[in-house]
Amino acid sequence: MQDWSKISRMPANNIMKLQDELLCKIVQDEIVINHPYYSNLFKREGLDPTAIKGRSDLDKIPFTSKQDMLSSEHDPERAKHFILQKPEDLESTPKPKKFSLLGRKCAEPDPAEYKMSQLFYTKGNDQDPIPIVYTRYDLNNLKETGTRLSDILNLKRDDTMLNAFSYAPHISVWQLFHSAMTLGATALHSGGGRVLGLEKIILAMNNMGAPVLTSHPLFILAALQTMLRQNTDAPSLERVIIGMDYAPMVVVERIQNLMLQCKAANNLVQRVYFLSMAKAGFAECSPGFGYHLNPDHVLVEVINPQTGESLGEGEKGEIVITNLDSRGTLVLRFRTGDLTTGGLSSEPCPNCGRTVPRILGDIEHRHDYFDLISEEASVVFNGNALRRYMIGRKDVLAWYAEIVREKGNDTLSITLKPAAGINEEDLATKLQKDIQEEHQLTVTVNKGSYEAITRKIGLESSISVKQIFDLRQ
Amino acid sequence: MEKWEVLSKTPYKEIREMQDRKLRAFICNQVSIYSPYYSNMMKKQGIDPYKIKGIDDLKYLPFTYKWDIAPNAENPQRHKDFVIRPDEEVSEKYGHFAKMSMSTGKELIEQKIYDYKPVHIHFTTGRTALPTPFVYTKRDVENLRESSCRLLDVFEVCGDDVTVNCFPFAPHLAFWTVYFAADTLNSPVFHSGGGKIVGTSKLMDAFEFLRPSVAVFIPGYCYYFLREAVKQKRDFSSIKKIFFGGERVPPGLKEKIKELLKLLGAEEVMVLAVYGLTESKVGWGECPSHEKYHGYHLYPDLEVIEVVDPESGEPLGEGEDGEIVYTSLDWRGTCVVRYRTGDIARGGISYEPCPNCGRTVPRISSVIERKSEFKEFNLTKIKGTLVNLNNFFPLMMSHPDLEEWQVEIRKRNNDPFDLDEIYLYVAKKPDVSEENLTADLKQKIIRETEVSVTNIIYLPLDKLVGQLGMETELKEKRIVDNRPMG
Repeated sequence: MQDWSKISRMPANNIMKLQDELLCKIVQDEIVINHPYYSNLFKREGLDPTAIKGRSDLDKIPFTSKQDMLSSEHDPERAKHFILQKPEDLESTPKPKKFSLLGRKCAEPDPAEYKMSQLFYTKGNDQDPIPIVYTRYDLNNLKETGTRLSDILNLKRDDTMLNAFSYAPHISVWQLFHSAMTLGATALHSGGGRVLGLEKIILAMNNMGAPVLTSHPLFILAALQTMLRQNTDAPSLERVIIGMDYAPMVVVERIQNLMLQCKAANNLVQRVYFLSMAKAGFAECSPGFGYHLNPDHVLVEVINPQTGESLGEGEKGEIVITNLDSRGTLVLRFRTGDLTTGGLSSEPCPNCGRTVPRILGDIEHRHDYFDLISEEASVVFNGNALRRYMIGRKDVLAWYAEIVREKGNDTLSITLKPAAGINEEDLATKLQKDIQEEHQLTVTVNKGSYEAITRKIGLESSISVKQIFDLRQ
Repeated sequence: MEKWEVLSKTPYKEIREMQDRKLRAFICNQVSIYSPYYSNMMKKQGIDPYKIKGIDDLKYLPFTYKWDIAPNAENPQRHKDFVIRPDEEVSEKYGHFAKMSMSTGKELIEQKIYDYKPVHIHFTTGRTALPTPFVYTKRDVENLRESSCRLLDVFEVCGDDVTVNCFPFAPHLAFWTVYFAADTLNSPVFHSGGGKIVGTSKLMDAFEFLRPSVAVFIPGYCYYFLREAVKQKRDFSSIKKIFFGGERVPPGLKEKIKELLKLLGAEEVMVLAVYGLTESKVGWGECPSHEKYHGYHLYPDLEVIEVVDPESGEPLGEGEDGEIVYTSLDWRGTCVVRYRTGDIARGGISYEPCPNCGRTVPRISSVIERKSEFKEFNLTKIKGTLVNLNNFFPLMMSHPDLEEWQVEIRKRNNDPFDLDEIYLYVAKKPDVSEENLTADLKQKIIRETEVSVTNIIYLPLDKLVGQLGMETELKEKRIVDNRPMG
């Protein structure tokens, strides 16, 4: 990867040129030779790798989807086809560097570049998790992206971080581990609610006097609400870093307000978009200014999810990524299933002035969109909108929704626990009316206990919550 | 830190001299000045740090116990007194002068930050006391890296071995030792986070996907995991070595694991244990061997291990049974001096070169019993008899007819003043008669522990596994004390 101080100030045109070069290089030097899946694909489709000269030729390459990587019955180890192999002529022991007066580096690539070092998995929301192989080369990149992350988030060495992302062999925990370690900040990687539990995390935060807390948004909300309920203050808390889950601006505002109510020292909330296939997390310098990308590491396109057409800047669509500088598991034009509401922007960031491309708006998940049948008409139900609406409501403490099919009609059944001091009947009636109008669906609202709801959505037990359950076959 | 290749071949006499030298410097230059707890203690008790000239003089220092370090309700920040840190007042007063220095001021400050600033935290797993944090500075992390590599060197693991790390993820030494070892050696590894994180069946898939040669487990979970794998007819033939850590390894378990692995297609597997403490900040490994175990190989440049009489505290000679006492050497971050581990080494410490690998570093015996199990459960007496609960472990773990077991201690009618009752929950192997097993267990238990169990309850395996918290808890609950407080 390049020097971040240079690349983050490079004009957009130069960045594009650089990406063209990197794309050309990875396709011609690595993929067509060492990548089992794509070298086959190129042959099968009759694609000429030399014709891929830059970003404009990308649409010649077909998309890759999660389905292509999931194991099937006749091929249980499909994910292995996506691992870049060691070039055949490369010797297994690295040659000693030859003496050189000018200090030239040895041109031979190190075989350790291709040897697996660590294995992570994707989050696996809607399907089985996909294994992702990291080599030493990728881990070095992970350290670099970690440094970039702390630069964008403006983390300092004196900050003490309590990493409360639930542990999983997933990019989120490890990206923050490398961020903190390379920075030299004190960090407790707690393993999140899954390992320590919410109560102990609150205790640890106050005992450590940690100014930085990281976790998925609903966990932070629950932690702050619990503190308010128990009349515990968080005097040391200055900043919250959220990620891994749907994080619209309303949740940022709510966390900011709650932090003030808990008498936090400051109420800075920053969002990070962790993307397993990109092997990195992208951070916002300040909420709403877009996730800053690493243009020399991964190429991001935004496409129309229906037609697959590439979209221009600022248009809403699905995020598609291409690894430009990876070993191990490597993908070209991978459809992430994540939708950006603000599209891409290559303008310099108005807040921090960095010139790297940014993903604007909120990241929605395609698996939260459902095709429903309501009154004999088909409706697309946007679960993200429902989640945004519910997160914004201060009178709802916890909730989940179930989609059920009754007599050929799909209906939405919401179970919730209202906040203290709220009239349950009024709230239920209001919600039913609002949601019914907004989504054109039959809605029923039930009450549930706080414990049962948080257990069901996996607030503490999983790495991100699931709030909408499709109970149809 | 010394070079391991050299250190492990140095005659013990020279190692001892090196330890004396290091200990002298460490006590005088770090502990007695920068560790708030120890500098206070030495002042109060009038101990002259310069009097400590070597290991033999350690006896002038008092012991440190778990309850000295563990935070409690009155003083939740107590553990911070054990962190080696330069005087804050002095740093603030003169720190900026150093920064202004034209020549090496900046490097000096960076060096101090490298030495003393905490970057990484582990916790103890205590169930009774509040968990105690132990902090590592960057310098300590390098020590941890080095020691983890030494562990792999002792275990003869190389860069081509594929490892699956099945330790539960937690801010604990076990998990992170594997991480730093594999990261430094650059050997392929999957840090699963344990069955609690990925689920037992997904973990088996990962085993088949990666075909590891090394697997690292908590002993109890390993036994459960492999039995499940046998049921599902998995192929684990690639496994060559299994390492245990995080918990004491019951004697009969190693054999049981080997038998299970045979059923899974893996022959000639070595089952080895790591002994480590959060307080020691590193783990020590056994020499690879099939039958005879030659003890845990220590790192004499990073710690001093004494074996003392658990009652009187007197230092014991080579080979004598006694409690392990740990003193850190050349560490920063949290450091303890003469820490009573509560672990009893049967066979004590040996300074002879290892008969298996020839390394000359000291070794603690492979048979370690945990005295602290008494303390943690507060079990002085059951039915008026002092019961060594440790005796349940070898007996039950090596019993051929048992799948799983759990001991519960209760009061009759849940009345704190009534009689103690011992309930034994067991899951038996399918084709074993309950009647014979009950008789056999009752007889063996009375022989080994000198108490009789009130009742033996047979449970289906899955129910007992749930009760043990095998997939939900960090450490399974083998012995549960449900006696109400009187």
